[in-house]
Amino acid sequence: MNTDLPQTITRIAEIIINTLQLEDVTPQTFDPDLDLVDEVGIDSMDLATIALVLRDEYGIRIDEDDYPKLTTVRIIAEYINAKLTSGE
Amino acid sequence: MIVPAREYKFSEIIADPVIKARWEKVRRYFFLRESTYDMSNRCNIRCEGCYYFAGEKQFAEENRDPAAWRQLLEAEKARGITFVVLAGAEPSLVPELCEVCHGVIPLGAIASNGLHSLPPGIDYRIHLSVWGNDRTSLAIRKAPDMLVRQMANYQNDPRAVWVYTFTPVNIDEAREVTEILAKGGLQITFNMFSSPVGYKGPLRHTPQTLARTEQVMTELLAEFPETVLFSPYNILAHTRPQGLHELFSCSYPRMNQATDIGLGRTFRQYRTNLQWDREAACCVPDTDCDDCRHYAAGSAVVTARMYRHATDPLTFSAWLDYVDTYLAVWVKGYAKSPNLCEAPVIPPPNNELPPV
Repeated sequence: MNTDLPQTITRIAEIIINTLQLEDVTPQTFDPDLDLVDEVGIDSMDLATIALVLRDEYGIRIDEDDYPKLTTVRIIAEYINAKLTSGE
Repeated sequence: MIVPAREYKFSEIIADPVIKARWEKVRRYFFLRESTYDMSNRCNIRCEGCYYFAGEKQFAEENRDPAAWRQLLEAEKARGITFVVLAGAEPSLVPELCEVCHGVIPLGAIASNGLHSLPPGIDYRIHLSVWGNDRTSLAIRKAPDMLVRQMANYQNDPRAVWVYTFTPVNIDEAREVTEILAKGGLQITFNMFSSPVGYKGPLRHTPQTLARTEQVMTELLAEFPETVLFSPYNILAHTRPQGLHELFSCSYPRMNQATDIGLGRTFRQYRTNLQWDREAACCVPDTDCDDCRHYAAGSAVVTARMYRHATDPLTFSAWLDYVDTYLAVWVKGYAKSPNLCEAPVIPPPNNELPPV
């Protein structure tokens, strides 16, 4: 599994865009440091949906009590890479 | 208990066209963000075990100024609230304030005893409380002919849904009430009496009354599928020996410290003086959290736990039934579909609570 951070960031941005059907943004133009709650407007059910798609994509489990920490695409990418590296 | 044969990807679960269709149906409502509002500190009846007349909130001074309410609701809308629940003590005593709320935020529900009819322009779902047949209501709520009067006020009113609260003393009266409502072409959903903090009276459920309630709910759902808005998973989730918090970890601010996302971030429970207190904020304040099986709590708390239910098609179907039920009960115009899962799915393990 690829753990290259920029590639993970792009792929997560793509997943978020597709899952939430966001318009006027591409994986390449999605600012990875945007606050997903305050600036993109996602809420807990959106994040749970994204977590399920990420679970499929990367084969990792995202604990429900970790959701509040996952505030940007970059943080999600780092979280996933850490899980993949540690083999959790 | 049903154990999945293997681990499923989410994409595999929703590859089933029936599950996919239901998932797409319910997810369109993920934009709902609720807060609740006590509209008055008065009620025209006084019921044993009433949550409103427990704790401090009953002493809040009433704000009856429509302009102040409009200002509050506009501020609520601005911070992202899209669904209001107008409750305690009895909102129908202040219909002009309910109209103000509806004028600002058009989606919502009102919890009422149904003894006064609300003006038709308030196009919210109206939850009419039933605590047994009219003999039991007279004993516990000190009000005669409650069901008769509720039906007279809300016959043929698409806003109305009756909410039958099961207590240990009215379990076997649910059939009589359901039959009456079915004959009138009306709809009913089920609630569980959940003790207010400190309540020591006879309405607190026991393991025996929970089991009997489960049995009666199951019979009524099977016999009156057009009348009863509920699902097998609703029944299981609300009649376990464990309360909702132990099963699912309550996500309301009162029990949830996180303020980053979800109910912990957005939910507020306003008292009738238009103030709120994070430490007390939940859908039914002053309920004993260990005994909470309230339908309003479950609607938010079970729904929020989508991730843990996405383990296999059956468990996810049970969760979809629960969400479909909650939307039909709370959102006017949302039609419930037939339940997908008739199997007894036990709530998934709650890994959020520390092991005992």
